[in-house]
Amino acid sequence: MPEETVHQYLQKQGVSRRDFLKICGALVGALGLTRMPPFDESGLPGNLKHTSVKPIDMVRHALETKPRLPVIWLEFQDCAGCSEALTRSHSPTLVNLVLNSITVEYHETLSAAAGFQVEEAKQAAMKKYAGQYILVVEGSIPEGDGYCTIGGKSALDLLKEAAAGAAAIIATGNCASFGGIPKARPNPTNAKGVWEIITDKPIVNIPGCPAIPEAFTGTLANFLIFGSLPELDGLRRPKTFYGNTIHDRCLRRPFYEAGKFAESFDDEGARQGWCLYKLGCKGPTTYNACATIKWDAGLSFPVQSGHPCLGCSEPNFWDGGGFYQGQSAPLNRPAVTVVGAAAAAGIVAGAAMGAANQSQKKSAARKSKKQKDA
Amino acid sequence: MNWNAFLEFVRGPLFQVSLLVFVAGMLYRLVRVLMLGWSRDNVPSKGSKGGGVVKSFLKSILIWPFIPWVKRTFSKNPVIYLAGGLFHLALLVVLILGTAHMLVWKSLLGFGWATLPLPMVDWMAAVGIAAMVALLIHRLVNPVMRLISGPSEWANWTLVFLPMVSGYMLTHHMFFRYEVLFSIHMLVVDILLIWIPLSRISHFIFYFFARTIHGVEFGKRAVNP
Repeated sequence: MPEETVHQYLQKQGVSRRDFLKICGALVGALGLTRMPPFDESGLPGNLKHTSVKPIDMVRHALETKPRLPVIWLEFQDCAGCSEALTRSHSPTLVNLVLNSITVEYHETLSAAAGFQVEEAKQAAMKKYAGQYILVVEGSIPEGDGYCTIGGKSALDLLKEAAAGAAAIIATGNCASFGGIPKARPNPTNAKGVWEIITDKPIVNIPGCPAIPEAFTGTLANFLIFGSLPELDGLRRPKTFYGNTIHDRCLRRPFYEAGKFAESFDDEGARQGWCLYKLGCKGPTTYNACATIKWDAGLSFPVQSGHPCLGCSEPNFWDGGGFYQGQSAPLNRPAVTVVGAAAAAGIVAGAAMGAANQSQKKSAARKSKKQKDA
Repeated sequence: MNWNAFLEFVRGPLFQVSLLVFVAGMLYRLVRVLMLGWSRDNVPSKGSKGGGVVKSFLKSILIWPFIPWVKRTFSKNPVIYLAGGLFHLALLVVLILGTAHMLVWKSLLGFGWATLPLPMVDWMAAVGIAAMVALLIHRLVNPVMRLISGPSEWANWTLVFLPMVSGYMLTHHMFFRYEVLFSIHMLVVDILLIWIPLSRISHFIFYFFARTIHGVEFGKRAVNP
């Protein structure tokens, strides 16, 4: 018997045809499918190649023909915040649809089972779906020995084992993408992001702290529908969600342009909703979709709620200078002793050269006096 | 290339190194100048040297820059007078009264101050850039200026102009992404900081020494053999 398709599964769940098409439309919108992606990867019948196919038909066709996507979710040095954000996401259409369209075969936080049983289930899933499953990684991977072991295996081995049979890897959150907080100086566990360790698999980074659930599910949906990863930027982030900076789409941007800045968190400027640049906002260099998708069903996002952006979707944001220090300021100021040493070096060198110069002058003067006297 | 990583480098370690080179270099130059000492007075002076210095400072800071007809500075060379003056004014306003720059001072010194609204600073920056362009044209066109312009003069102009123009583009998000322009701005500033002690841009300190020496000479009332 062929595997149950997404559509069949949804039908069983009581989703009507009408609702199913609505969901397809919502997906098209959420993925920003304004133009057709490459046809060959879409999985559509070849006879449609030269006809005008709407994105929604493509989505519908994919959901009607493809089985649910198996997902194995590993957690390493993380806080489970990305999982929490995903499971508590308030945008029912997209997130629920995608979560309904996948089968999470293994998830350390969400699994009801525990211990050896769940590890065995993981092994079985990895065998059954070899080469098909999506590996989701949450948390950074320590390269140092003795950190973060599960069932007696190190995080590094677990990742390599699971990555070997994965169709693609999604690194969710800043930790799995770029090392995140565990990688902050002095990085005691020698933490690394997934793409620094696995190099032979397609990897998508969904950085953020936590990752925006819609960005994660959107990427998953992209894989589900087209069988391929979305278009990525230089840091392997999907361009759909990481194409603009927070600053570019910020609701406080007009105040930046007008030069109206909040000076502290409780002054008149803060109350008026002025720009938070002086309070350390990293929006201008942070690429993420917070300002457009927002959080909690579009309710708000940090800058809207009055807190400057920390830059959590960028590598090394934790070491990127003070959170409340304006972005124009240098990352860190040199220690007073170092400045003092440099100053002393300059003064001593100057004095030495000056003294040498003076003694040379004096001896030259003596010489010329002698010559005159003689 | 990951511009954010590059930005981290030019805002972090490179800036620190540049700053240290700048501090050491300027102090080296300062000590060298101070150790030159005063020229010997062979004849006792009847005039007041201190008075001469005070007068010299008053004239060169308050009168000559602002009242052009005293030394006919404007009619002698309107480009130098207007563009040069506006450039220096713009530089001071942008570097000290601009919000982004004040935050740099604040992070280095530990205290900040009130700044001008962005649009005002912005206009001053535009004026400064235009003045720099005028000065460049003058330098290219005027035969005397061309004669006294060597590689270091062209380097001076370039290294001052690039931070101004990249800073302006940065504030307005022109043509390139923010972190790209920010990186370029910081990179040129880092190079400039190293360049200043080696170049005549150091006149922002030695100008006052020159005025002092002149004041002393003018204050003297004696026959110098």
